[in-house]
Amino acid sequence: MRKNVSLIIGIVLVLIIIAVWMLSFVLMPYNPNEMNIPNKFLKPDFSSEHILGTDNFGRDILSRIMYGSRNVLLVGIGSVTLGTVIGIFLGAVASMFKRFANTIIMRIMDGLMAFPGILLAMMLVTVVERGIQGSIIAISIFMVPVFARLVYSMILDTEDLLFIKAAKSYGSSKIQIFFRHYIPAMLPKLITQFSSAIGSAVMIETSLSFLGLGIQPPFASWGLMLSESRQFFLIYPYLAVAPGIAIIITVLGFNLIGDGLNDILISRRSQNE
Amino acid sequence: MLSYILHRFKSSIVVLFVVSIITFFVLMIIPGNPAQLILGTDATPEMIEDLHAAMGLDKPLYQQYLGWLLNLLKLNMGKSYVYGESVRTLITKSLPVTISISIFAMAMAVFIAFFFGMISAIKRNSIIDYFSRSIMQLGAAIPSFWIGMVFIVYFGVRLKIFPVSGFVPIEQSFVRFIKSIFLPSVVLAIGEVGTLLRIIRSSMLDSLKQDYMDMAKVKGLSAGKIYIKYALRGALTAPLTIIGMQFAKLAGGTVVVETIFALPGLGRLVLTAVEHRDIVLLQGLVMFITSTVIFITLIVDILVMFLNPRIKSFHQGE
Repeated sequence: MRKNVSLIIGIVLVLIIIAVWMLSFVLMPYNPNEMNIPNKFLKPDFSSEHILGTDNFGRDILSRIMYGSRNVLLVGIGSVTLGTVIGIFLGAVASMFKRFANTIIMRIMDGLMAFPGILLAMMLVTVVERGIQGSIIAISIFMVPVFARLVYSMILDTEDLLFIKAAKSYGSSKIQIFFRHYIPAMLPKLITQFSSAIGSAVMIETSLSFLGLGIQPPFASWGLMLSESRQFFLIYPYLAVAPGIAIIITVLGFNLIGDGLNDILISRRSQNE
Repeated sequence: MLSYILHRFKSSIVVLFVVSIITFFVLMIIPGNPAQLILGTDATPEMIEDLHAAMGLDKPLYQQYLGWLLNLLKLNMGKSYVYGESVRTLITKSLPVTISISIFAMAMAVFIAFFFGMISAIKRNSIIDYFSRSIMQLGAAIPSFWIGMVFIVYFGVRLKIFPVSGFVPIEQSFVRFIKSIFLPSVVLAIGEVGTLLRIIRSSMLDSLKQDYMDMAKVKGLSAGKIYIKYALRGALTAPLTIIGMQFAKLAGGTVVVETIFALPGLGRLVLTAVEHRDIVLLQGLVMFITSTVIFITLIVDILVMFLNPRIKSFHQGE
């Protein structure tokens, strides 16, 4: 098999972020929200106490990046997990109970898909309280139709396969068939989609935070850090470097894993044919 | 063929209807009384009640929805309480900004994506292929607000080539208009070019595998003719659909870029509406933007059908 460069780079990048996230629980140099005005705008210096420097309130940027990784991963993974579970459920119900349930569910999914980009998330943030929970709810609803449609079409595709027919003729119930046969058959594709979805969820989260609609100050989030650095960016451009790179590593990592897995899926399928 | 157009038209109407239900009911469960929000904290309970009744908020929800929908069909989207102007006027004023940057951004993205996508496919697994695919991956992962900030500092402040913010209408000065939308468009294009390049590359690869490509080579046609006239033509369907979708989605996806560059477009309006919980404005904007998206998708689908004889005959066969 050809070496899967995307997958390897993706895994390395995601491992870096996970390492940062784990370290944030044991080895955070400073309290990320502690202000220390005399120490403000210290430039990054690897020999100093503040490796990545300090921001306009004298807060340690490294600590804020580390703390921010918790929020980004929590919102990114949390929202996609929630969206996946609801999406799988709705897709399964729609495919198994034809007619009414099918029409209602799939038309609602079509409607949700018609909202462009960040608009749906912004509309939902208006209704829920801003913060971690609000972001998770808003982004998960964005993810639901993606997974519902995927599951729906995969079940319709596999319905006529021999092992499903066999299970039906044995008298397995719909729920049994779903968990024992459909889920394992769909798993590779779901995992692939899951990984790419985390990449886009992180992008939406940072955009919401940047617009002031996500995680609220004084808590650290990479999008918020970038938005706070805007007014000082002309004089202190280093403020925007660390959060920007952190976002790129995370989004790129999950996207590459999704792509790498997708390549494996495609090559496996063409081998089977 | 007509039946296909009719079918697509019908399903667009259904989607639009579902969207209107979602938009209306999601924004109705908002905490707090809209009348209270509009009048502020100084208002007496009587004043709030009067406005509440005047806005029709004391009627049952389904009646409110039907009334809203009817007004929407008459293009009457109500009045924004933040701006004190009708939503329709606000949209008409902001639309040129968003349309300008969307068209400009898509034009750039399409040009770059076709150029590199085709080379990538023709010279598969070459350095150019790897290079353009890596750049594409990176472009999809860089947050637009980050590039925007960097652009403003280097091109706007240091080199002073482009204005840092604001929009100049085309009637005022064409050169300044282009300058004012150039950087925001580039930022948007960077976000869009990756997906497009990927689709162009893969449909080009598919097209290059077809029998008619061998035929064209056997006939001894020039490389340009082979690739542009035959391979590209066969590979156009999927990219066209994606271009349509991307262009449509830009209409709602310009919020971040408009915020960084302080452009008074639709995205700015959406942000203001969300920040101030201006429900009437937000409902109008969401319905306007989503209808545009659905309409453009419909047009592109029909266009693609005309361009691709295979789809045409497939639907005739049905």
